[in-house]
Amino acid sequence: MSSTEQGTSSAAPAEPTTAPESAAAPEVPESFYYVHGKDKVVHKVSAGALQHSALIHGMISNLGYTEEQAKANPFPFENIDGDILQMVVDWCNQHKGKPTPPEDTNLPKQKEKLFDLVLAVNYLEIKELLTYCCKQVAMMVKGKSPEEIREIWMIPTDAEDEAAEKEAKKRAGKEAAGETAAAAGDAK
Amino acid sequence: MSVHEAEVAFLQLFEQLEIQRKPPKNRFPLLKLPRVVLLECIEHLDVLEIIIFSLLSKRAKSIVKRIHWNLLEIHLISTEQGPQIWLKLPTHSRVEWIIQYNKEKESSVYPVFESRVEGPNAFYHLFLYDNGIEDVKQMVEHICEVFHSPICGIRIFEESLIEWIIKFQPRIQYVSIDDKVIASSKKLDHALKNLKVTEHFHLGIVAIDETFQIAEPIPFSALSIDNSYWITLPSILNGVNSIIRLYDSKLTPKDINTILKAWQLGFKLRNLEYLEINTTPLPGFDGFTRESHKDLNLTESDRSDSRPSTV
Repeated sequence: MSSTEQGTSSAAPAEPTTAPESAAAPEVPESFYYVHGKDKVVHKVSAGALQHSALIHGMISNLGYTEEQAKANPFPFENIDGDILQMVVDWCNQHKGKPTPPEDTNLPKQKEKLFDLVLAVNYLEIKELLTYCCKQVAMMVKGKSPEEIREIWMIPTDAEDEAAEKEAKKRAGKEAAGETAAAAGDAK
Repeated sequence: MSVHEAEVAFLQLFEQLEIQRKPPKNRFPLLKLPRVVLLECIEHLDVLEIIIFSLLSKRAKSIVKRIHWNLLEIHLISTEQGPQIWLKLPTHSRVEWIIQYNKEKESSVYPVFESRVEGPNAFYHLFLYDNGIEDVKQMVEHICEVFHSPICGIRIFEESLIEWIIKFQPRIQYVSIDDKVIASSKKLDHALKNLKVTEHFHLGIVAIDETFQIAEPIPFSALSIDNSYWITLPSILNGVNSIIRLYDSKLTPKDINTILKAWQLGFKLRNLEYLEINTTPLPGFDGFTRESHKDLNLTESDRSDSRPSTV
């Protein structure tokens, strides 16, 4: 994370970002926040668009940043690839303040990209986009044979699962034995 | 620690959670998804896809079983082409999923998917190679387990299905037993005593000893029995059936008269709503109807083959 993007903020309470709605109230300028992924590329996103993400929305509500503080302190999502975060930001912008349609055909067709997108969307708690992604995942196996489904979704056979479980138990046993030996060494 | 630092620390904590690394190209490691997401993906599959997925491994099956599905309507039937499992969901009244077993193609060709639309109804077929009835039984048991749903109806087209259904699920809404499946009076007695049919029971022609008779009531709501010569007056008279259809009955005009009188008086046959008895009168005996209707307060039907609209 670069130093310009990582400024600290004061804990002082900031002005509320939205005023209570009323017919006579003047239009409040939209507030923006900043996010970056693993590639450190900072994306400017409106509060309206970010409302799709329950995680970010919760963070914004808790932090009460001013525009300046938000700019100086982009939210870091180091576990999300830059291109995936870009997709998420684009989707949030496209669907800002709009009812979400029943289908979304703009999701990535490449399975590995979709996998990363699903993880990111789940992490960011974007419910509607997660539903689209899950539908897309289900569509992958439409009309496919059992063996094709096994291959596409990487479903291990029972024998493979049993072997993996045995291996995990063996590893856990070794680790436990190592810890016991270390504890005995410390006691001496 | 500033609010922002705390927030960063919070995020970093999340990063420590397992976020899976790159899957191989053109693959989607479904089982590495967080559990709640994985279940949502599975919920978007259709009935046949769910069944196929659940058959891939024990782990896949246990995942599917965790989902709270709508109760699936499961019917096991048979056609000229072979056994079929018909599946319906209450939420999709115009859609039916059918697993159809046949041997029309080379076994390597299976499974085959087909779908068709008839008016507002859609039918999704999964054709599987017919390896015999044991495969079909196992598939039905698997579907019941995965969808937490009972079998709704069964057409018994071979004898081994009787013992299987009695053991697996004796309480069932609809049962139909094909002609000549029951080949002994012992088997018939066993089926009648051990099945608990809650809606409709149909029995085709039985190939049993012609002297066999039953006097006990058949405790199923609706009965439709072909070749019913073995059903006697007490069996009907003491029953609690709501619909009775007897074909090739050996009940005499006097028996029928007794039944009708008891029904009309209301002391017996209190649940009975519909009665149809089809007999072959003895040659030269033309008083059958007169005798069976003797001393009854009758209302003529306004048209044939229908129930009277006025009393």
